[in-house]
Amino acid sequence: MTVLAMDTSAKAASVCLAEEDKIIGEFFINTGLTHSQTLMPMAEQLCKNAGVPLDNIDAVAVNAGPGSFTGVRIGVAAAKGLAFAHDLPCVAVSTLESMAYNMLGCDGVVCALMDARCGQVYNALFRVTGNRIERLCDDRAIALSELQKELQGCTERVVFVGDGAAISFKSAADLPACVRLAPMNKVNQTAASVALAAFERLKAGDTCTPAELMPVYLRLPQAQRELNKRMGVRP
Amino acid sequence: MTELLSNSAAETEQIGERLAKTLHGAEVIALFGGLGMGKTAFTRGLARGLGVTDGVSSPTFALVNEYHGAVPVYHFDMYRVQSWDDLYSTGFFDYLDNGVLVIEWSENIEGALPDDAIRVTIRRGAHDEQRIFQIEGAEL
Repeated sequence: MTVLAMDTSAKAASVCLAEEDKIIGEFFINTGLTHSQTLMPMAEQLCKNAGVPLDNIDAVAVNAGPGSFTGVRIGVAAAKGLAFAHDLPCVAVSTLESMAYNMLGCDGVVCALMDARCGQVYNALFRVTGNRIERLCDDRAIALSELQKELQGCTERVVFVGDGAAISFKSAADLPACVRLAPMNKVNQTAASVALAAFERLKAGDTCTPAELMPVYLRLPQAQRELNKRMGVRP
Repeated sequence: MTELLSNSAAETEQIGERLAKTLHGAEVIALFGGLGMGKTAFTRGLARGLGVTDGVSSPTFALVNEYHGAVPVYHFDMYRVQSWDDLYSTGFFDYLDNGVLVIEWSENIEGALPDDAIRVTIRRGAHDEQRIFQIEGAEL
């Protein structure tokens, strides 16, 4: 089974062709928000260089959110379009869950983080044991200060992963010593990890039609913070 | 904080142009001041100062206009933005750090402005044509 996987959930964009036991090829670019220009040429080049025509693909997987509003829409729209044209099933992967797959083989807790701005992060926690990923909480939007409180007193190895990992690691004060930042080659969400997460979903038969594939947005819990200070407009 | 007086739309444009000369390319300019204060004229001057040759108009319906100058300029109108969800779906957070953001009706999204935003407050002056510009966060 061959999967074409894509990630455009934050600043970097990537596409990956993978089989269950092999990454066939991957294209990753981290140059700013130009996904609408880079994504499709990357997918086209990757398939061409790998000698895998789109007709030989069995499913299209995508990080369907949470993430940047524009980024998630571009990824989901591209996946829908490709899957619809070639009559393929889609796999919607949680961006945060895909990040956990960056750390396969590194036993411990993965703290997946995306910068949601205004001191908020999109976050989920996973326990990695060998090649197994166990989800410890639902995807959520949470104040960084809240997450920091949760991590207080923890003694297990925790690794920050995701496009929001570095900034969270820097801005969260007094993190326990067991908390580490993933290295540069593992910190970003990538399409290869989307593919790995997608194979688990495919095994479970968890696919959808292109029409059913939708972006997943998490509501920001900014109730305590007024957007319009004068009018007191609340979310 | 700098306070400047303008007596015409042309002078308002000049203030915008002066502010443009102090920018590096990834700032947020938050405009405060109601209808007819000259926010669009100010933005026109600012965009010109950043090398934009496209026409500048208020993005009341489009929510955001993109101009191409020496750096990208993103011109927002937050008049109709009422909630965090509204703001998120303008793509506002995706534009931050990727160019100069000029935001009309910043009153509506004050809680989401970055701490280092340049705040420009415009008030009516001594007569109908006069405007007082109060600029915080930039040295003119």
